[in-house]
This record gives sequence, structure tokens and C-alpha cells, in this order.
Amino acid sequence: MKKILAVTACPTGVAHTYMAAESLIKAAKAKEISLKVETRGAVGVENELSEQEISEAHAIIVAADTDVLESRFAGKPVVRVPVAQAIKNPAGLLDEALAKEAVANDYVKRVEQSKSERSSARSGPYKHLMTGVSHMLPLVVAGGLLIAISFMFGIEAFKVEGTFAAALMDIGGNSAFALMVPVLAGFIAFSIAEKPGLAPGLIGGMLASSIGAGFLGGILAGFLAGYTTQFLKKYIKLPRNLEGLKPILLIPLIASAVTGLLMIYVIGEPVKAIMDGLTNWLTALGTTNAILLGLLLGAMMAFDMGGPVNKAAYTFSVGLLASNVFGPMAAVMAAGMTPPLGLWLATLIAKNKFTKEERDAGKAASVLGISFITEGAIPFAASDPFRVIPSIVAGSAVTGALSMAFGATLRAPHGGIFVLPIPNAVSHLGLYALAIVIGTVVTAVMLSVLKKPLKSNNPA
Amino acid sequence: MNILQLLNEQSIQIPLKAGDKNEIIGEMVRSLEAAGVVTDKAAFLEAVLARENTGSTGIGFQVAIPHGKSAGVAQAGIAFAKLASPVDWQSLDGQPVQAVFMIAVPEAAAGNDHLKILISLSRKLIDDDFRSSLLAVSDAEQLKQLLATI
Repeated sequence: MKKILAVTACPTGVAHTYMAAESLIKAAKAKEISLKVETRGAVGVENELSEQEISEAHAIIVAADTDVLESRFAGKPVVRVPVAQAIKNPAGLLDEALAKEAVANDYVKRVEQSKSERSSARSGPYKHLMTGVSHMLPLVVAGGLLIAISFMFGIEAFKVEGTFAAALMDIGGNSAFALMVPVLAGFIAFSIAEKPGLAPGLIGGMLASSIGAGFLGGILAGFLAGYTTQFLKKYIKLPRNLEGLKPILLIPLIASAVTGLLMIYVIGEPVKAIMDGLTNWLTALGTTNAILLGLLLGAMMAFDMGGPVNKAAYTFSVGLLASNVFGPMAAVMAAGMTPPLGLWLATLIAKNKFTKEERDAGKAASVLGISFITEGAIPFAASDPFRVIPSIVAGSAVTGALSMAFGATLRAPHGGIFVLPIPNAVSHLGLYALAIVIGTVVTAVMLSVLKKPLKSNNPA
Repeated sequence: MNILQLLNEQSIQIPLKAGDKNEIIGEMVRSLEAAGVVTDKAAFLEAVLARENTGSTGIGFQVAIPHGKSAGVAQAGIAFAKLASPVDWQSLDGQPVQAVFMIAVPEAAAGNDHLKILISLSRKLIDDDFRSSLLAVSDAEQLKQLLATI
């Protein structure tokens, strides 16, 4: 049975909001339609629609003369009318809502919606770190792929000066990758302290890079530079006629000196030791440890589908590219692809357990999966978290572990299957693809078993 | 707390003889002032007319519910008028109006209790039986008995 949702609202919020709600409920009873109405009136929001209800709804009626946070319904068929219309013609509105056709394409919009909501909801250090990472990513993509292409001329070809392979390595390895950590640190500091934070951050990141403190050093340098700058902006007080000197002379000078000196004399060496330890451990990883790491990273990728846990695993792996460790990157991308792919496969093998809307959504999810957009699993997970999340975590953990066990490496931080044909971007290509397929199947089978069959006559 | 506490005897007019919509609104605002619900008549009247201008409050079925939220309202309250003869209200269904509830809401709602009562009245107006009884009331006593059922 199709479920319809409605929201009613009016400016004063004592009369029309509730009469509209009552009219719709009355008409729905007469027509034996399952309907829930959220009212946004003078006493606040009552009967609020949950994310799960929205995702399960066939269509949503918005009868309102004020804002009702309509962005919640992105990707859902919406019938939009003035509030008076719901009092005048509730039955007609219900008919119109029932006649709406869900569009599979809208699924992609919903995923975009939840992605952008999540990034705007980020705050504090997590937001600053993600700002840094997102500015660093293009450098890693360009650098990693150009290096991979240089290997087409032979794995050592770039060592011969003046060759095309050497030129590619100059661009990718010596320039793009060299900028990674400085840009990471620079934009963390930029996110904290705005423009004045950028210079001290870049400088701190450069030092982290040259000391050998890698991305961990870069992250620390970025936060150090950002908060130092923020502190200086607040507490340096100058006479009004000298105030202009503050942003252009004093802050860059003092913040860079403080950040730089701390990097060199205090933070740099210990972080370098940690980074070296980590890199050595990762490069000499035995099979058991490799599998355990792959399991962990894979599970993290699926756990919150693009949330903080996912980003922690992702940032860790991208950061390691700067230290020439490519295994975790491969595991993380593979594990990030399987959740939407597994859901798609589940909608194919267990047709009777998914609604038509969900089966259409599955097709869209498959496209998001091959593009490494883990968020593609969110709408499914939101409507049935306790069955979907364990299934996708299991599939991703298996894929991550297999990718590590096969010794697959990946030089680019993104791209999904579109990066696979680029020569040398991925090692052990066949086994890597197999890892993705196995994880997809694990998720699909597990979900097919856990999911209950649809009831033929759904009790509202 | 029930709805009768929001409806002062002085704000019940059965029947109300008035020429047109604006006259009725003016008369009911005055009755709310007499009942002590409205302290600034001009401000509240302006809020009611502004609400009318955004779309008629004639909800159909011969009932209208002009309302306003204003600092000129001291406490939430309602007024009721049964019109001596049907009056055009540009209603949603085009029918002239016979019964009018006016709702006054203060700018800063002191508590939600009053609002909740007004809301239950609004909801009740969608009920066919309630409405036909409302259109049949012939004096204040009958109105009170009917409202006590909410």
C-alpha cells in the first residue's frame, strides 16, 4: 500500500495549519489511504516526519504558505499547494499524490542532498580537517595518476633525465605530491583562521614535509598554525592608526615563526618517528596484520557511509600516499564501493523483499557504487539501519581484507572503476576486481537473508 | 482549561446584524476589546485585515475564521458571531458565511495551553456534525454547550 505524507503550515499557525491537516486526515480515512500529517504551527512542529518515513513514502503533500524545510524531500515526488487548497480539496490532493511516479534518477539527488547536508553540518576540528583534505585531493589525483602513467614507459623509466617519463614524474611526484602536505596544512589553518591562517599553515606543512613528518605532521602543523593565528587575531591590540599592520605584517610573521619553530624543535622529530614507524610497519606488513588492517579500514568505510568514521579511514589512507604507501588506499576505495553495489545486487536477487521504488533506487545506487560514492547507501540505510548497516559493514570488511591480502595498491585517491583502466594506477587488477565482487556478494546475500519479505497488505 | 475560558460572554453575538465582512470584523474586534482580550484595537484590527489580505479566511461550509497575532492582544481569546443574514467572505467554496469565529493570539504566547485549545477548535471545524450544530445554534447557551464538547 502506498504511504502518503503531508506537511501543513500557515503564518499564524492556529487555524489553517490544523484545518488543512484535519481535512487531509478525514479524506484519507474515507479513501482508506495511509497518511501521516506533520503540522508546523504556533505550538511548534508536531507529528514530525522521520527520515525513514520520508524515504518509505510514495509522495509528499506540502500544503503551506511558509517554509517547511522542503529540502528534506529532495528526490521525492512532492505535490505543492497553498494551505487553503488542502481544506478545499483534500481528496483531489491525495489523488494527485497517489498518481505521482517515483523516478529512479531522483535517488541520485537524494544522495547528493545527504552529502551536502552532512558537509554543512560538520563543525569544529572535523570541519577544518575535511576542508584541508578536500583541497589536497585534486593534487593527489593529478599527481598519483601522472606517476602511474610514467610507469607505462617502464617502472624505472623516469630515472633517465630528459625523457617524457621523467617529465611526468617531475609534474606528479616532485611537484603535485610535494604540495600535498603543505596544502593540507594550509587549508586546515585557512578553515580555522581564514586568510591570515593560510601562510603559516602552508609553511608549517612544508616543514612537516621536509622533516619527514608526513601527513600526520601536516595535520598538526595546520591546526597549530590555525589556532595560533586565531589567537593572535583576537589578542593583539594596536592603536587604530597602526591596525592595518596587523594582518599584513604582525600575524603572518608571528604565526609563521611560532608554527615553524614548534615544528622544527618540538613536534617535527617525534612525529617523524611515529610516521617512520607507521610506514615501516605498513610496508613490512605480514599477511595476518594486512588482513586485520583491511578488515578494520573496510568496516570503517561502510559504518557511517561518508561520515566521520569513514572519513577517518579515508584520510588515513590518502595521507599515506604522501609516504609512498599505497595498499590501504586500494582497500579503502574497494570497501567504499561495495555498500551501494551490494544493495543493488540485493534488490536483484531478493526482488520480493524490496518495493518497486527500492528496486529502482538500487539501479541508481549501482552507478554511485562504481563511482566510489559510499553515500549512495545512505537512503537504504536510513530506512532500515539495523539490517542494512551490518550487511554493508560485513561486505566492506571482507573486501578491504581481501584487497590487502592480495597486495593490491592504488595510486589515486578516487575514481571508482573509472581509474582502474589507467595503466599502473592499480596493481593486481584482476584480484582487486575480485575483492570488490566478493564484498558486493557478501553484502547482497547477508541483506537478502536479514531482510523480511514485504507484507502483501501493509498495515499502514 | 477549556475553550469556554477563552470565550467571554461579551464576545458572543447571536445574532449579529452587520452589513459586510469589514463591518463584521470591526464589530467582533470591538467585542474582544470589551472582553479585555484586546488592548490595542487598531493594532489587532490591522493584523486581522493583513491576514485577510493574504487569502480569505472563509474556509467554506458557511464558516469563516478571521484571526490575527498581535502585540495588541493581551491574552488568547475568541469571539463568535452568528450572522443575521449570510454575508460574502470570498470563501474557498464561494458560499456566503453564516458563522464567524474570530481568534486573537498574543505576539508572545505565554503558554501553549491557550494555543492548543484554539487549535482543537480549528480541527473541530472540519467535522461535519460539529459544523451543522454550530450553524444551528440560536443563543449563547447553546453555543457554550456545543463548545463544551470539544
